[in-house]
Amino acid sequence: MNKFVKLFFGVFGAFGVSWLGFVAYPYLTFAGLQLNKDPNTQEVAPPAKPGTAEQGYHIYASNGCIYCHSQFVRDKNEGSDIDREWGKRRTVARDYLYDRQVFLGTSRLGADLTNVGVRQTDPQWFYRYLYSAHPESAMPAYKWLFRTQKIVGQPSVDGVKLDGADAPPPGYEVVPTEDGKALVDYLLSLKRNYALPEAPEPTE
Amino acid sequence: MSAMNQQIRLLQEPTDSVERSIRAPVLIFFGAAAFWLALGSLFWLLNVSQMYTPEAWWALPGIGWLSFGRSYPVFLNCMVYGWASGAGIGVGLWLLAKLCGTPLRRPSLPIVGAILWNVGVGLGILSILAGNGNGKEMLEFPGPVAFILFLALLIIGFWAVSMFVHREPGATYVSQWYLVGAFLWFPWMYATASALLNPFRIPGVAQSAIHWWFCGALMQLWLTPIALAASYYFLPKIVGKPIYTYRLALVGFWGTAIFGGWTGLIHGMGGPLPAWMITVSVVANVLMLIPVIANALNFHLTVRDSFEDLRWHLPLRFLLFGGFAYMVWNTLGALLSFRTFGRLAQFTFVSAGHRYLGLIAFCSMILFGALYLIVPRLLGRDWQYPRLAKTHLWFNVVGLGMIGFDLVIGGAIQGFALQDSKISMDAINDLIQPFLLVQNVAVLLIFVANISFAAAVKLILLLPTRVRPQEPAAESSKESLPEVSVA
Repeated sequence: MNKFVKLFFGVFGAFGVSWLGFVAYPYLTFAGLQLNKDPNTQEVAPPAKPGTAEQGYHIYASNGCIYCHSQFVRDKNEGSDIDREWGKRRTVARDYLYDRQVFLGTSRLGADLTNVGVRQTDPQWFYRYLYSAHPESAMPAYKWLFRTQKIVGQPSVDGVKLDGADAPPPGYEVVPTEDGKALVDYLLSLKRNYALPEAPEPTE
Repeated sequence: MSAMNQQIRLLQEPTDSVERSIRAPVLIFFGAAAFWLALGSLFWLLNVSQMYTPEAWWALPGIGWLSFGRSYPVFLNCMVYGWASGAGIGVGLWLLAKLCGTPLRRPSLPIVGAILWNVGVGLGILSILAGNGNGKEMLEFPGPVAFILFLALLIIGFWAVSMFVHREPGATYVSQWYLVGAFLWFPWMYATASALLNPFRIPGVAQSAIHWWFCGALMQLWLTPIALAASYYFLPKIVGKPIYTYRLALVGFWGTAIFGGWTGLIHGMGGPLPAWMITVSVVANVLMLIPVIANALNFHLTVRDSFEDLRWHLPLRFLLFGGFAYMVWNTLGALLSFRTFGRLAQFTFVSAGHRYLGLIAFCSMILFGALYLIVPRLLGRDWQYPRLAKTHLWFNVVGLGMIGFDLVIGGAIQGFALQDSKISMDAINDLIQPFLLVQNVAVLLIFVANISFAAAVKLILLLPTRVRPQEPAAESSKESLPEVSVA
């Protein structure tokens, strides 16, 4: 029994230290992060996200966007992220203050999406890209986020403008499903283009 | 009788009450694990095909629930929870029962645990396919499923640890230490990560810290200890000599226990987490080389003199391949944690290659070797078709070698290209096409290998043919070895 107690405490102690360092510490520290209020303009950063983004997180997660896309910008001396115009400055902990789910990511088969809502502001661009990015990009087609329906009366406002082989038959239109709209709302909300004092834009 | 079965039988002792008591839960875990392995390999093949030929019919374009973003987590979770953890729990329970010399009390509860675990894995896989995965790599199962798995773990962990507490008096062996550690650490880390990332979903980047901490600990403090416990048990048994030195075994155990929990955060290099966390993780990855070299050296010195006689011992070759992969995996991990290499390898196939080295080339291969030795003795039967085991070995060796080199070289090229902002993302994609092709071929080979293994396991479990005749007692003379204790 004595040996078990020794082993038990050794085993718990060894692992418990890493638990304190990498679980308890970040949990306590990041839970206490505050918004940044600009003393001159009284602007608050990061700005609040639209309510539709919550459902979008779920679609982003369950369709595995994270397996090819990251959501963090490294400093200029760490990589080409800023040169690739994925962001003007590195991202810091406060950038994720409002994210109910954080998708930092470990793979970049596709572009970083930290600021994709800054680069592309037109929902139509996202719809067309998600419907079929082939052949210009290797991204899979997410056609199940859309449905083809008969046009009754006026065409839908968010009907996807498609041409060539993707175009629906005459009298029909391709519209995003609720899931598709939620995902695009979420992607449009990805804008970390406000200023934070702890992450100044690199000067040169 | 084939040479392979002859070799395995040399290790047999008469099955005793201790082994009979754990037969049912262990065989449930093994049978289910073989199924998850086959399913996971199928989804892996689908996934790499979707990367290389996204528009071909075999990549099943347009089917949402089988798309790239779901086939990957299904593959990974089948491998981690269904196969490696399931088979690992089985091997761990068997080893603990053998080494502690205690029959399992109330064997019905671990059976419940085994069923619960596999039902949980099945529900988790279905949830991912149905679009309820939560996008946290290796923790994709939704909250309620994670809770089922946690319950199963509590039952099994309690049983495992209680076997150690009620062990026969005498010295303990290093395998027992690893297993007690593993069965205490895993429920703890799984509960922490699942609870904080699923139902409570704490805000902000603490999520990523906890997630990456879990990924590192899962490999270093759950699957690795089980694989090492099996190696420390079977290598001396096969060569018929005690382990070379207990001092190195001690260094290996405590080194793994102390550094293992800190290894995961190198993924966050350059990210929004505090710099000290990354630095600590870098240091831990380098220090991991101490226990790794201690263990690998110990294994090497144990089998060195017997290697010539035993080079065609099939389970031994699985164990030695795994041991070699253990070295390569951790050496790569240490290299990648240096910022110069880490910056390049971050976000590339090198990370994937590093993961497969640990999960598949190391842990899986050791578990294969252990299953080849344990299953026939639990059933009192021979493997029906040793040819399946040979296919399994060689297709795996070639496939894993191929994918290892492919992902490291392809990933390095991808990494250099990513560093150069003048090369567009689409151009990088064109650049890595040949590597995706090689990956596809390699995974096809591994798929064939793993299907052979799953078929062999199903055959021996379900076809009660070729019952082994009673062996003369002289054959088991190698069994009465003294085991060296570490405490």
